[in-house]
Amino acid sequence: MEMIQFKDLLFKRGAAVGFSDMEIYFQADRDTTVKVFKGEIDAYNISEKAGLSFRGVYDGRMGNSFTEKIDEDAIDLLLKQARENAEILVQGESEEIFAGSEHYVAMRDEAEGLRRATPDLLIETAKQLESVALATDPRIDLVNYCMVINSESELTIMNTKGLNCHTKSNIAIAYISAVAKEDGDVTSSVKSAFALKDLGEIEAEELAKGTAGEAVGKLGAQTIESGLYPVILRHDTAASLLKAFVTVFSGESARKGLTLLQNRVGEQVTGVNVTLVDDPHRIDAPGSTPFDSEGMATKRHDVIRDGQLVTFLHNLKTAKHFGVESTGNAHKSSYRGTVSVQPNNLYIEQGDQSLEALIAGTERGLLLVELQGIHAGTNAVSGDFSLFCIGHLIENGQVVRPVNQITVSGNFLELLNNVEAVGDDLYFNGFGRGACGSPSLKIKSLAIAGK
Amino acid sequence: MLSQAVVEDVLLAALETGGDFAEVFVEDKTSSTIQMLGGTVDTAVSGRDFGVGIRVLNGVFAVYAYTNDFSRENLVKVARNAAQAIRGQQFDHSIDLRKSLITPHHEIKLLPNDVSKHRKIDWMRRAHHAASNYDPVISQTRITFLDEEQNVLIANSDGLFVEDRRVRGRMVIESFASRGTEKQSGQYGPGAHQGLEFFDELDIERYARETARTAKAMIDAEFAPSGKMPVIIDNEFGGVIFHEACGHGLEATSVAKNASVFAGKLGEMVASPLVTAIDDGTIQNGWGSLNIDDEGSPTQRNVLIENGVLKGYLIDKLGARKMGMASTGSARRQSYQYAPTSRMNNTFIAAGNSTPEEIIANTEYALYAKYMGGGSVNTATGDFNFAVREGYIVRNGKIEKPVRGATLIGKGIEVLQKIDKVGNNLGFGQGMCGSVSGSIPADVGQPMIRVSELTVGGR
Repeated sequence: MEMIQFKDLLFKRGAAVGFSDMEIYFQADRDTTVKVFKGEIDAYNISEKAGLSFRGVYDGRMGNSFTEKIDEDAIDLLLKQARENAEILVQGESEEIFAGSEHYVAMRDEAEGLRRATPDLLIETAKQLESVALATDPRIDLVNYCMVINSESELTIMNTKGLNCHTKSNIAIAYISAVAKEDGDVTSSVKSAFALKDLGEIEAEELAKGTAGEAVGKLGAQTIESGLYPVILRHDTAASLLKAFVTVFSGESARKGLTLLQNRVGEQVTGVNVTLVDDPHRIDAPGSTPFDSEGMATKRHDVIRDGQLVTFLHNLKTAKHFGVESTGNAHKSSYRGTVSVQPNNLYIEQGDQSLEALIAGTERGLLLVELQGIHAGTNAVSGDFSLFCIGHLIENGQVVRPVNQITVSGNFLELLNNVEAVGDDLYFNGFGRGACGSPSLKIKSLAIAGK
Repeated sequence: MLSQAVVEDVLLAALETGGDFAEVFVEDKTSSTIQMLGGTVDTAVSGRDFGVGIRVLNGVFAVYAYTNDFSRENLVKVARNAAQAIRGQQFDHSIDLRKSLITPHHEIKLLPNDVSKHRKIDWMRRAHHAASNYDPVISQTRITFLDEEQNVLIANSDGLFVEDRRVRGRMVIESFASRGTEKQSGQYGPGAHQGLEFFDELDIERYARETARTAKAMIDAEFAPSGKMPVIIDNEFGGVIFHEACGHGLEATSVAKNASVFAGKLGEMVASPLVTAIDDGTIQNGWGSLNIDDEGSPTQRNVLIENGVLKGYLIDKLGARKMGMASTGSARRQSYQYAPTSRMNNTFIAAGNSTPEEIIANTEYALYAKYMGGGSVNTATGDFNFAVREGYIVRNGKIEKPVRGATLIGKGIEVLQKIDKVGNNLGFGQGMCGSVSGSIPADVGQPMIRVSELTVGGR
């Protein structure tokens, strides 16, 4: 059944059973994934999936449902489930169907190179990653995970108020994990890279060498004395920490009373050297999109400017709750989800110091290159974190030895109030909307637990 | 779901280029999620997943493809596309599918779709009331009710053709305590592979009050100390320590690549002699239980470690080929969108002899983790970490004071060897386990244990 036909029939029957405004959100993805192990193809996956979510206003409340089986029978099930789900909501504060923005940023489609990338090219890239990593150092014992994914995703939103938005996005991701061994000590390192236009943007040689080098660099790590240390969060670890606390800036969390920035818009909440931006139109970032999951045109926003909280990120419902405009951050994790809030490309603006300069300016401290168990060890409601980490001890401006079996702990908001220096090396963590980026950050002091 | 004739065509198409094994996994799942915030329903969504996964093996090379266009023509096309990646010896296959019926081991009475949303909301309201009335310090509650009915058809070129129905329900209760700008939370998530009669029989109020009690205890707590110290970990979700620190390292996924610290150690002493650990996919109505795994093999009770000696791994069909060992009925996947791989079902440390009171009374100084949060492990290095949801300091045999924000870190084998007390109060907790084949329901479990030394990350 054609999508237009399906939509027309769905809206017609929906109106007949009492829905007023209605919307469909249709997503179709095609992925090819290859994994390589010891020079051979270890896995080869081809996927095509599509799903549709329906939402409609029934008796003043928004009902949601979804299906992956798209045929005539699905229509009645979608309507029945959406109605049942609407009936248990409380009337009042509700989502609304959006008629459309006046202007949408035209996102140039430059992904022809990715669309032309053959499975053989993906396999070749994966094999290159593995062989370069293995050849980097004799102590590299194994590349235990080496994967390349090429993915295309199409999204269409259409509703009874006339909205009709469509976008297509492509991304290729390379992911490699190397294991180093020496004298009974085992270490590993994981890195990834993405391409938005052409597979060639993934610098396979550099990625593989970097991963292998980092695994080897962790060999012989020892713990250190517990205490307070100046800490440099390398850009990737800083970005993953920001990602763990992203709900702190969500209007959805604010509406539910679950953010530690509750009622603090307009106040100084971090150090003046912190500026946090959500920019949905950066061509080098993985989460760019012309419209959000409600079909509203996306816009660049300062969330924190020079330490001052400018706004939470909003969708229509949370914006209405606070009497402000939506920031174009409505989000559905997929057609299975309901509308929530998420950043597009949220990042801490970079400063002017290189990572080397940050290290050179540290008399005694730690450079953290890996944080583990991010979701378990962070509490987004309180801002507290306590995380297993791996890094290097810095003495007199020099990296002197690797450090392992330690945790770093603190509070995210306190951390943003204790940034001593901001690096010039902005890096994005994550693929797709909700990506978070950060430069390396030097923090005055964080608690390290060791021996 | 799909007829035997269509499945046969798809399997034959998948084997056209010389693959030696082909498998079809059809999934038709309805699910519903309701979230209640502060006693009123905040979001509700339900729907249907439907798709087909096709896998072709040639020796240890695997190709996986999936689609949700289930017409015969498209499925044959997808199977042929997948087969293109195989360059094996071609020969004529004949497939003789024999429909086998499974004996359901997990009684299911009330199907989720036969229970009104209002009844589900009544269960949720009871949780909200019990939690929010516990103490004025409780400022917010969040209750999430999830249920699903997953129907699967699994068929392969060895002639297997089997269908199964899996029904699960879970209620995650969270309480939040506030004091000034401070916020702390408590959480409990009871669930089962069972019909929704599970919730009629559940003491909802007890679980809800327990989450409120945790949140209140933690808002009044100071930060946990840092450094190496003995750690007592209580039962139920405390079993996440074994799940993360050891369970993942026993999966064929990492053992077959020799990328696990447990690889090549069968028959060796890897743990304290007090430790016996089991993964059991057959526990009656257990959250992680299945009649058959996602390759159609019956689930089993697999002894992993017996009195400290490594006895076995968790193995799927592909892992079995790579390792030259038999499948242990441990193949699992989140959905048709994932190729199956070796995973845990219900993993636990078996009960020992000490009472919990004895263990605490005989401890001079330790961190006592009453409830654990989540964690993760790097299977290659054995490094693990997990969060303590509710912690206390034990001093001179007595619980002295609550502490918050602790993380436990260490290496898998080391922690197993340092277990010096195993209690007699075996209990289970429900969780979602994420790994290469997606997020799947799994039980963790253990009695109270004491570890002679672990690194505690506090402040």
